[in-house]
Parts: sequence; C-alpha cells; structure tokens
Amino acid sequence: MKEKIKNFLDTDLLEQYLLGTTSKEETLQVERYIAMYPEVRKTYIELQENLEMYAKQHAIKTPDGLKDKVLNQVKSEKKSRRKFYMYAVAASFTALIFAGASFTFWNQNQSLQEENILVNNKIESLEENMRIQLEDVRNQFIVLNNPKTKKVAVKGNNKAKELKAVAYINPVKKLSYINVSKLPNLPEDQCYQMWAEVNGEMINLGIIKEASDSQKLMALPYGENAMGYITIENKGGNSSPTVENIVANIRY
Amino acid sequence: MSILLENHIVELLLERDDKAMSLLYEHYGDTLLGVAFKVVRNEELAEDVLQESFLKIWRNSDSYDPSKAKLFTWLFRIVRNTAIDKLRSVNTKSDKEIQIDVSDVYKLGTEGVNPELMDVQDNLDKLEDKYQIVLDALFFQGMTQQEASDELNIPLGTIKSRLKIGLRELRKLYGSFLLLASMLHFL
Repeated sequence: MKEKIKNFLDTDLLEQYLLGTTSKEETLQVERYIAMYPEVRKTYIELQENLEMYAKQHAIKTPDGLKDKVLNQVKSEKKSRRKFYMYAVAASFTALIFAGASFTFWNQNQSLQEENILVNNKIESLEENMRIQLEDVRNQFIVLNNPKTKKVAVKGNNKAKELKAVAYINPVKKLSYINVSKLPNLPEDQCYQMWAEVNGEMINLGIIKEASDSQKLMALPYGENAMGYITIENKGGNSSPTVENIVANIRY
Repeated sequence: MSILLENHIVELLLERDDKAMSLLYEHYGDTLLGVAFKVVRNEELAEDVLQESFLKIWRNSDSYDPSKAKLFTWLFRIVRNTAIDKLRSVNTKSDKEIQIDVSDVYKLGTEGVNPELMDVQDNLDKLEDKYQIVLDALFFQGMTQQEASDELNIPLGTIKSRLKIGLRELRKLYGSFLLLASMLHFL
C-alpha cells in the first residue's frame, strides 16, 4: 500500500491536478487517491498552500482603474444576463403561444380538410344528381316535342274511376313517360304503385305520390309491346304487383 | 488568506453576489496579476488576462467545489489557463511588434512589483535559482514534469526532487512570514 502511494506521488499527477491539466480519467484517479489516502490528501493540501505562497511572492500591484474596469465588466455581464433571462422567458412564452397557435391551426386545418372532403362529396353527388335530372329533362323534352311521340290517355278501371294519366311513347327514341295527373284518394294504409312489364319481366317503378307527382313525368322502361300497370298496394309498396288490385294498364 | 474570509467570499460567490468579485479583486488581484504576468510576460496582456479571468470566475462561480480545491487553487487554474490561451493567440499572430513589446514591458513589470511584498521578493531571492526555474516551469509555463525535463535539459528525477525540495524550502522561508502577514492583514 505504501509503495502504491509512493508510486502515485512520484508521478506528477497530483501536480498536474493542482494546475488543472489532468485528463478526465486522471482527474477521477487523483480524486480517488485524495479521498482514500490521508497522505495524498495532506500532500495535495500542502501543494495548494505552496502554490498560493509561491504565487503571492510574484504578486504585481494592480494598476489604478483596473479594479473598476473588471467590476464594471462583471456588473454589465450580470445585467445582460438578467436581460438574457428576461428574453429567455419572453422567448419561452412566445414559443408556447406559437405552439398553442400551431396546435389550434392544425386542428382547424384538420377539421377544414374533413369538411372539404364532405363538401366535395356533396358537390359530386349533386353533380351526379343534376346530370341524371338533366338527362331526364332532356329525354322528356325529346319525347314531348318529337312528332313521332304517341300520346296515350290512361283511365282508371272500376276500382279507380277518377284516375287519369297520360303516357308519352316514342318508338324511334325508345323512350316512354307517364304523367299521372289525378289519383282517387286512398285509405291511409294504401298507396298506388307503378309497374312495367317489359319483355315478360315485371319491373317495379315505385310508389306514385299524388301531390308531388301530378306535374311530373315518370320514365317508363321501353320495350316492344310493353305494359304499364298501376296497382293499389299496402303502404310502403310491394315487391310484386297484386294482380287483383290493378286499377289501370297502359299498353305502349 | 484567512479561512474565514475565504469562506465568506465563497459563500457570496455561490450566491452570485457581485460583492464577491470586489473582495476577490482586493485579496487576490495582485497575486493573480502576478500569475498572469509570469505566463504572458507582458503587463498589458497580463491585465487583459486578469480582466478576462475575472469574467470567467464570475461566469463559472457555480462550478467551484470547495471540497475539491482551495479557492486560490481554483482561481489560479482559471488565470493560468486564460493566460496560456492568451499567449497562444498572441503567438499565432506572430506579430513582431508584440514580441518587442513583450520584452519592453517585462522590465516595467518587474519594477511594478507590489511594494508591500518587497520583503518577500527579497526573501524570494534566497530560494536558489535552480528551484525557482523548476517551479516557474511547472506552475506558470504550463509544462509537465517531462516537458520541463526536456526544455530545461534536466533529468526527470532531478525535476521531481527539485520541485519537492524547492517547495519545502519555500515553506521554510516564507511559511511563517506569510502566516504573520495574513494575520496582520485581518487584524
């Protein structure tokens, strides 16, 4: 052990440490020796005292004015540091506000994007609807204005004598429309339903809503020797026509 | 330096009270200027070094650990490193005028020695040159023992023994004097 301490003291690690020129590892080693061995500790303390003593003997009187210069520098540093802290605090606040604003904007952007998708979808479906309706109107126009169009008046049978409808059939353009202008009142739980039999196939054309449909032309699927039927069905409509409830038929 | 005063300064320093700097300057200013001068060998540069060092001392005051080093040791390290850096930056400029300047002011510097310490200065002459050269090389010129051995053409073993003996002699010569001086200072 003595040997170890002696070897350590023989290196100049302690002196290097005193001057602050040891590497990180060396510093740790020296500090461990100082902590562990009283002899090393004593030597280190002596070295420090010697250094101070030796340095004092080389003291030079500081010139007048240097003290003020030095202290003013420190004071302005202190002030600027305080300023720096103030700026730092201000900067932090600004950063926080920015972060908050960014988050809000991001959120807004996100919901705007969602809304945008929604609106786009709506526009798309509107366009699609418009296209279909325009097509329909165009076809109606063609049918109604075409000299080849046959106009067929449709009347109800005994079950619905007041029923009046007009069918427009154009064999050239292969388009048919029907306008149901008058329908006898039905009990609440019943409704009129439109059908077409084309090429032996029964097609459900949907429920006729009297009030809104009186001005409207309903498209009929075209076929050679097709038949249109209007039946009375239970409210909500039926998937196949009830033959005994046929109130009108249209051959077209 | 009395332990009481040293503790007081350290306390102020750790509280970041700038009174600490005033006290430091009063009690260590001359010595630290001497340290700076020993390294840079130019009065003006030494004053610059002292000024920069005090700023570093202030900035790094929270890094001072009283359990690891005496206050003076810490101050000395800062001044010495600042001075060595300064010398390097001046040398890299390789300005001839500064070189001439250095030798001129060197004489001024020795004349400017603290008169209060003139007695000590006289006593210092009693420490043989061969010890002083070694102590200067190691303490002020930033040399390792090996470098001092190479630079001064003295075997490493001799460097080691001269350091030890030099320090012992120094203690013998001035230990009692400095103790007395510092006691008188605070009476």
